[in-house]
Amino acid sequence: MPDKTITLSVTRFDPDLDPEPRQQSYEIPFKDDMVVLDGLNWIKTHLDGSVNYRWSCRMGICGSCGMNVNGTPKLGCSAFLRDYLPGPVVVEPLPNFPVVRDLVIDMSSFMEKLSAVKPWIIREQGAIGTGEFLQTPAQTEQYRQFSMCINCMLCYSACPVIAIEPEFIGPAAIALARRYELDSRDQAGDERLRTITASDGIWDCSFVGECSAVCPKGVDPARAIQQTKFDSTLGVLLPWGGK
Amino acid sequence: MAEAPRETVETDVLVIGAGGAGMRGAVAAALSGARVTVICKSLLGKAHTVMAEGGMAAALGNVAHLDSWEAHFADTMKGGKLINNWRMAEIHAKEAPERVLELERWGAVFDRTRDGLIHQRPFGAHTYPRLAHIGDRTGLELIRSLQDVLVHTPAVDVHMEVTVASLLTSDGRVAGALAYARADGRLILYRARAILLATGGAGKIYRITSNSWESTGDGTGLAYEAGAQLQDMEFVQFHPTGMVWPPGVRGILVTEGVRGEGGLLRNKEGDRFMEKYDPERMELSARDVVARAINSEVLAGRGSPHGGAFLDITHRSPDFIKSKLPSMYEQFLKLAKVDITKEPMEVAPTIHYYMGGVRVDAETGATNVSGLFAAGEVASGLHGANRLGGNSLSDLLVFGKRAGEAAGAFAGAHGGSAPIDSRQLEQATERLLAPLRRPHGDSPYRLMSELQEVCTKYAPIIREEKGLREGLEKVLELGGRAQLCGTGGPNGRAFNPGWHTAQDLHGMLINAEALFRSAIERKESRGAHARSDYPRLDARWAELNLITEKTPDGMAVRAVENKPLPYELTEVISQSFKRYTPEEIS
Repeated sequence: MPDKTITLSVTRFDPDLDPEPRQQSYEIPFKDDMVVLDGLNWIKTHLDGSVNYRWSCRMGICGSCGMNVNGTPKLGCSAFLRDYLPGPVVVEPLPNFPVVRDLVIDMSSFMEKLSAVKPWIIREQGAIGTGEFLQTPAQTEQYRQFSMCINCMLCYSACPVIAIEPEFIGPAAIALARRYELDSRDQAGDERLRTITASDGIWDCSFVGECSAVCPKGVDPARAIQQTKFDSTLGVLLPWGGK
Repeated sequence: MAEAPRETVETDVLVIGAGGAGMRGAVAAALSGARVTVICKSLLGKAHTVMAEGGMAAALGNVAHLDSWEAHFADTMKGGKLINNWRMAEIHAKEAPERVLELERWGAVFDRTRDGLIHQRPFGAHTYPRLAHIGDRTGLELIRSLQDVLVHTPAVDVHMEVTVASLLTSDGRVAGALAYARADGRLILYRARAILLATGGAGKIYRITSNSWESTGDGTGLAYEAGAQLQDMEFVQFHPTGMVWPPGVRGILVTEGVRGEGGLLRNKEGDRFMEKYDPERMELSARDVVARAINSEVLAGRGSPHGGAFLDITHRSPDFIKSKLPSMYEQFLKLAKVDITKEPMEVAPTIHYYMGGVRVDAETGATNVSGLFAAGEVASGLHGANRLGGNSLSDLLVFGKRAGEAAGAFAGAHGGSAPIDSRQLEQATERLLAPLRRPHGDSPYRLMSELQEVCTKYAPIIREEKGLREGLEKVLELGGRAQLCGTGGPNGRAFNPGWHTAQDLHGMLINAEALFRSAIERKESRGAHARSDYPRLDARWAELNLITEKTPDGMAVRAVENKPLPYELTEVISQSFKRYTPEEIS
């Protein structure tokens, strides 16, 4: 072992053997430039080949390696061990999701929520014809930040409403809906809005803004939720309308 | 008797891989009326395409009105040192604009010109500003847009976190695939009328790469074992600018967009050294030229402190940098504590792309195995000896669509899937499960890391015969050890990363062996294949592609003549050659 080490306390869970998740500690060499993901890879290669977690790009763009680091949802590839000195660093699966194994969560509910908001261009007059649709930089700016989402699930883990109402369609899906609503090519009217406002939970969102605070890409789902509520209460669509 | 798969899935078209080519292919196959099943090794939307930054090349002519498919075609052929499959280059140049516009109509967000047209940025070796882009995260947008289309395309099923172990054939026609679910290790037999391979490249056979863990050359391995021909396997692209420091991020991509937006390359003495290597195009020269230039500067003792070059964009305003290159700004700030609006970046070549891959028909992506198609990085031909930046994303869309349609049509023309050869299935199952029964076998992690060392050391930017032969020997030795490897850990089926690694290793070894064998054969320097013992382009080799195939005696490499260019296309190229440097025409 080199002079400097740090301890990672990693959640282990094998549904066939463990009645519930437990923490296991690993001492690993510490270097200033190491992120939590590097630490886990070191453990897997050198100490314990059975540790499971998802990862892919290691550059903060694929959104695979979401995990709870010392209680805060983070991308493992962007959480530097140096920020958690002297340790131990507690690495757990993202909360608000069923745990499949170790740090691996079941996010199938999210995939359903994504499709539910109809994340595609809806046109009243059918598909946009051939040729190029013009969109000025100012029009692009309207929705651009909402298109930065990498589906990493950090906002769902931070969301206090999801914790109580798992059916809530949730921050990323609403931000995605907003991304299409604000797109000058889209003519969905209140079609998407109806889906969202019919979803349990949105009216419970108290704009705590945890979702926006943990977003690694600077998306502001809290704003999307507020805008959606605002649009709805403007009389475009009342929450109890249709019920 | 090996165990039988617990689950059988029947489908018309099986798409293996869910990056840009796989998703575009799946949509095309579904629109042609086929039932489609998409398999991906990770979760949907996380494929390697997501990491692409700079943009997709298409002669839209939005920024430079003079641009044309002819100019794009000529640039691509010239970049590929003329051994590209010219018909693929022609189709690509002609169809890329429509594929980009289609993506736009599907909702993709792009940077726009003041008039609202899709903006296009300059890139290395493209005569005109040609790359449609959104900031420096174009791959993410491409994946997201295609994913949004895919989820509401009827008749498409997506099976996530499933790995294919072997393709099954019957009388020279593809019949299906043996796969396993990573979550619980259950075996799945896919029966399909047609299969589209869209598995990407094999960058992970090198230690320093911009590629994600998934790029283990699965498709080339699967195709080779099923009897398909591979081609151009000696051509592996070093992207000139990967991160160098700190060590943990070494190899991560620094987009060519930095140079497209005006970034300058300097050595430690402050010289813009590209003046020596390509005075006309400077930083925006082809990738192979820039990568070798940086390599030469480092070898001459003029490298940056950590063995690279400086890439400087500080002469642009901070606002400009943050709006045009937001991901780069964030990446360097977070990972290297470098503010690129104030300080230069340190960069060095990193393994980035496989020009070689499965040999395909230009029109349809069909391989020589009936019913087996390939598109994207796993296929070969379009890029020849060196790929131009931006030509990959457009490749995925153009040939993903074509191969998807062709696979759909093939499935429509064949009433059912070919019968499964039970002996083949049994052998495939046996090989797949064997590492689980070897508690004392070699660790696949160790073997993979040794393989990466071998490729890095013996097939570097500049190669030579002796090193290549030594490398081949070591790869073969590793291959022997891999046949007896275990899992390096527990032997359960559920979520067993060691077992997955043993499986990845199988494909990586085929890729590495093909690389060394082909690199030994090509006795010249062309594009990404540079040899110190044959430092010049040899005109005789311009007419030859190297094919790798499985024979009863093992892997064999042979040269085949490429189809001569038709007169009109020769004219298109010679017109454009007037703008090129003498070195390139030699």
